[in-house]
Amino acid sequence: MSTTNSILEVRNISKTFDRVVKALDNVSIEIRRNEIISVVGENGAGKSTLMKILVGIYQPDSGEMYYLGRRIPFPKSPLDALRKGISIVYQERGVIPHLKVYQFLFLGLEEKFTKLGRLQLGKIIGLTQSIFEELGIKCDLASSMYELPPSVQKMVEIARAILSVKLMVEGDGESEVTPIIILDEPTAPLSTEERDALFNYLLNLKKSNSFIFVSHIIPEVMKFSDRIYVLRDGKVVAHHDLSSEKVTEDQLFREIVGRESYYSLWARYVYGVGKAEGKRVVLSVRNLTKKGYFENISFDLHEGECIGFFGPAGCGKSEIARALYGEIFADHGEIIMDGKHVKLKSEPYARIKIGIGYFSGETGKELFLFWPIRKNLSLVNFEKVCKKPLKIISVISFNAERALAEKIMKKLRIRAPSTETECYSLSGGNKQKVSVGKWLEKSPRVLILEDPTIGIDVGAREEIYEVLLEMKGNGIAMILASDDPKEYAILCDKIISLKNGVVQAIYTNEEFRRLMGL
Amino acid sequence: MTMAQVWVFREWLQRNLNTVIPVAGFIVLILGLRIANPYFLTSWDSLITLIYGTSWFLIAACGLTLVILMGSFDFSVPSVLKLSAMIFAILYPSLGFSSILVSVAVGLIFGFINGTLLARFNIPSFMATLATSMMAEGLAQVISGGYTRIITDPAFRAISTTMILGLPSIFYWAILIWAACLFLTFMTPFGRAIYAVGGNIVGARLAGINVKMVRTAVFMICALLASIAGVLYASQIQGAHMQVGVLDMIPLFASVVVGGTALTGGVGGIHRTLLGVLIIRWLDSGLSMLAIDLNVRMIIFGAIAITMAILTIDRRRIKIMK
Amino acid sequence: MKSGLKELRVGAVVITSAWKLIKMNPAIWAIIALVIIFSAIVPERFLSPSNFVAILKSFAVTSMLAVGPTFVILLGSIDVSYMGIWMFGGALVWLLYPYLGLASIAIYPIFGLLVGLFNGVVHVKAKVPSFILTLAMTALLAFLTTYVRNISGVLTLTVPAYNFLRESPIPYLPSPFLLALPVIVVALFLMFFTKLGTYFCAIGSNEEGAKLAGINVEKYKILAFTLSGLLTGLGSIAIFVHLGCQTRVDFDPSELIRGLAAIVLGGTPLAGGMGGPHRTLLGALVYVLIFNGLFLLPGVDPNHLKLYVGTLLLGAVIAASRALKGALIA
Repeated sequence: MSTTNSILEVRNISKTFDRVVKALDNVSIEIRRNEIISVVGENGAGKSTLMKILVGIYQPDSGEMYYLGRRIPFPKSPLDALRKGISIVYQERGVIPHLKVYQFLFLGLEEKFTKLGRLQLGKIIGLTQSIFEELGIKCDLASSMYELPPSVQKMVEIARAILSVKLMVEGDGESEVTPIIILDEPTAPLSTEERDALFNYLLNLKKSNSFIFVSHIIPEVMKFSDRIYVLRDGKVVAHHDLSSEKVTEDQLFREIVGRESYYSLWARYVYGVGKAEGKRVVLSVRNLTKKGYFENISFDLHEGECIGFFGPAGCGKSEIARALYGEIFADHGEIIMDGKHVKLKSEPYARIKIGIGYFSGETGKELFLFWPIRKNLSLVNFEKVCKKPLKIISVISFNAERALAEKIMKKLRIRAPSTETECYSLSGGNKQKVSVGKWLEKSPRVLILEDPTIGIDVGAREEIYEVLLEMKGNGIAMILASDDPKEYAILCDKIISLKNGVVQAIYTNEEFRRLMGL
Repeated sequence: MTMAQVWVFREWLQRNLNTVIPVAGFIVLILGLRIANPYFLTSWDSLITLIYGTSWFLIAACGLTLVILMGSFDFSVPSVLKLSAMIFAILYPSLGFSSILVSVAVGLIFGFINGTLLARFNIPSFMATLATSMMAEGLAQVISGGYTRIITDPAFRAISTTMILGLPSIFYWAILIWAACLFLTFMTPFGRAIYAVGGNIVGARLAGINVKMVRTAVFMICALLASIAGVLYASQIQGAHMQVGVLDMIPLFASVVVGGTALTGGVGGIHRTLLGVLIIRWLDSGLSMLAIDLNVRMIIFGAIAITMAILTIDRRRIKIMK
Repeated sequence: MKSGLKELRVGAVVITSAWKLIKMNPAIWAIIALVIIFSAIVPERFLSPSNFVAILKSFAVTSMLAVGPTFVILLGSIDVSYMGIWMFGGALVWLLYPYLGLASIAIYPIFGLLVGLFNGVVHVKAKVPSFILTLAMTALLAFLTTYVRNISGVLTLTVPAYNFLRESPIPYLPSPFLLALPVIVVALFLMFFTKLGTYFCAIGSNEEGAKLAGINVEKYKILAFTLSGLLTGLGSIAIFVHLGCQTRVDFDPSELIRGLAAIVLGGTPLAGGMGGPHRTLLGALVYVLIFNGLFLLPGVDPNHLKLYVGTLLLGAVIAASRALKGALIA
């Protein structure tokens, strides 16, 4: 298998976290000269763990690494990886907004351009210019990074990765090194045109570099990679060489999501689906727009109905969810709740008052990790646990609080020693259940869900789905923004597909499942 | 003791460090003072002297504790205290006790400015309150001309020194306010909101807490308590002077963190501040009985404060420390 | 030919940068406005040579308090230990003069360096908020200075032997200003011609990103604090000479605010990431012009200084708060 073309190969990598969670299981991949390979998979499939091993942030439990056919140890640190010719461009947070373009390009590489302690600015600017000319990046060198459009920022980041490999690598001087650049979801913040520009740029760079492209956006992967590795649950489940075999988007999608189905779960609660039309409209949204994120979003949400916003990362779905809750503010449009207009700039506390709730699966975002479960659960339910000895004073009753917590814990099967257990000691699934549990008693009219089951195992997922479906059965309307198509199939009656913040199509649950092959 | 017991004990000690240190410190302090000064706390009079030194201080410290619990900081407490005392003393001859209203109103205005600067303008609280503390100092200077005011009217004095059951009334004021703050922080949704803002501000906002309102309200409560402390202090010393000032921040701050309230917010409480205030004020009076220079005392408090701050900061939740 | 073209382009980049610098520094416009206003109201007092010298002296003092800490503010942290370094450093010079002679002035930079290093290490390793830490440091050193004065039984800590430094060789350029110049040059050099300026900005702008770019963030944070202490120590010599070869012995908070106000007025945001010593110098000039002109006006009472200083700082932070919008701040 290993040809002379191969630069880097890893074999049989395994990595386990906390002694139980198997993040990678016997994974082998190979990178050849001048090609773009893609590593695709869902969140939690092990993509980022694999990349972190390649750049030396994690050490694998077992496995081997070969460079140009010679066995070498795994890199110990990102710097070590750079010396071996591997560099990474992170999905976000890699750009330093206030630095000038040339400062950013040479950040951390100044050693080579210092004479007697004085930075050779002229040389750096000149070199930046020639690099940009060579790579075809057009921008004003004196501007700060944040002033550039996102695609150009990404291009500069990639240029920086290549440059740092070229400057740092310990070459033996015989052959020219081919830098291996890992791109972690590079297109997430970009619009379609910007993506095309970025890919043309990459195809141009392919002549002298190799890329590992980490993504879950299938069309892109199909269009630009030479080979594709599909990761699922820590294993390589498929490997396609696009030059020799034909793969359809459908097939790839099925390989990414896997076969396990949630039909049975969904079927149990299927009675709510499709009957929404006759019910009362709870929430109407008209022409909601936030510049640069989403445009002209309109829909009616009925009692007990769930609408999902579906699309690739960066399509505006999570921003819509947040704007409905007031975490961020939309620019214009109307949000009408029960016939009353909601101010676009009102804060979350005002939205809760009129019956909108919000639940995000992002760890530590809305959970108070160092509070006991009891306090976390009562935070939105004060009217349920407070006594009012005087009109203006409400006093928290600890007994009522504890009773409430016990009730919710029992119902959601939250596994914890007591109501006083601090949340940081719970497992991911139980944390999520605490987050969603506080809304169970509150029963808002509309519940907004953002990635409700991100990063938790299948069992906990099903339990959360059950709770959500039950709430839905009780007439709570929901809005879902997530990365997992299965989640839409289980929860949503109507799916609005988005692209770059614009509505593309509206599907019913069945149409959506057919489309996704679920 | 077996190894396991030692391990369990160490674990317990680590978890409860911010309780163990103040309690142990307090006990050591009392013993130390008793040894250094055989007359310490032997007579009723000496206890009352200590109460006079501690009460007004406790009221101001309660306000500061609320702000620190919220994860912010308020430098203007001593300056507002001074300004309120000065206003009270200056206006008393013409307005009588209604001048208290003026004092408190000015205090509330400062609190409102502090809170608004943080909540609406997003200015870091230490910076905003440093600026307003200078303004309060300056105002006190302007209205007093820099002179000490002395009020000899016995009624002026009576609000803090009337003896009830053998203890001066300022003691009851302080305990009342302390208990009210305790009730506020532990038993009410508003108190929970203070802890929530200090613990996880993003989560607090998402859980439907009106963060701007809570921040403004807490700064106003803090300034209100500072003015009350100022009024009582003025009454107790029969006048007002310019000596209290920004530097009194050091013992005030020390008493909050010595109690075990963490600078990072969300950890600690009003109950701890009582112990902290006792430690700092009694240590102060003990040291001054030993004729130790004021400057050295301040250095000692500063060192204690920083050491305790280092020990109590909750590092689990810090990603980036500025 | 080609290399000539390249140099032309490099020059173009430098010129655009310079234009942006002027455009992005409202302090420059403020300076022009202040000069015009005060020249119009009190021309004979404001435009006199003696006032020019007074402005230069006070500019030297203000900028020396503020230039060092600017490097720390770039990180998004804050360093107010300058008061302490200035006060107690002077006390040390006074204490050590009998033993070291004229060389004892060298204690200033050494002491500043040590204090800065200590601040940096404690801030980075023990994770104490820098503002509280450095404020406690300043208070501690200030009290120590007062204590030294109290126990030594003198009124001021003066070392008359350095009086020769007060004579300026150049007319109209007072010696504190001349002593401050090298510090200013060093600060600007570090900012623009070494990687330090870039690194500090990078850490302040996006600490995580800086770490990902392979910068040893902890090391450079400690370095920034150390540098701040060192520059303040060096700069304190100018202040020492300005005050008549003595140090301040009682703590005055309005002096503390002077440094902060200069930084904020110059336009270095407290959140860090942008700005630098060049802006602080402009800010110091704004500060000096405001107070110089203000006290020339009839009816302004210098006793009310604190009120003005507080109001000015408040105005400056509100004006600068635009840069902080969006983030939830402690």
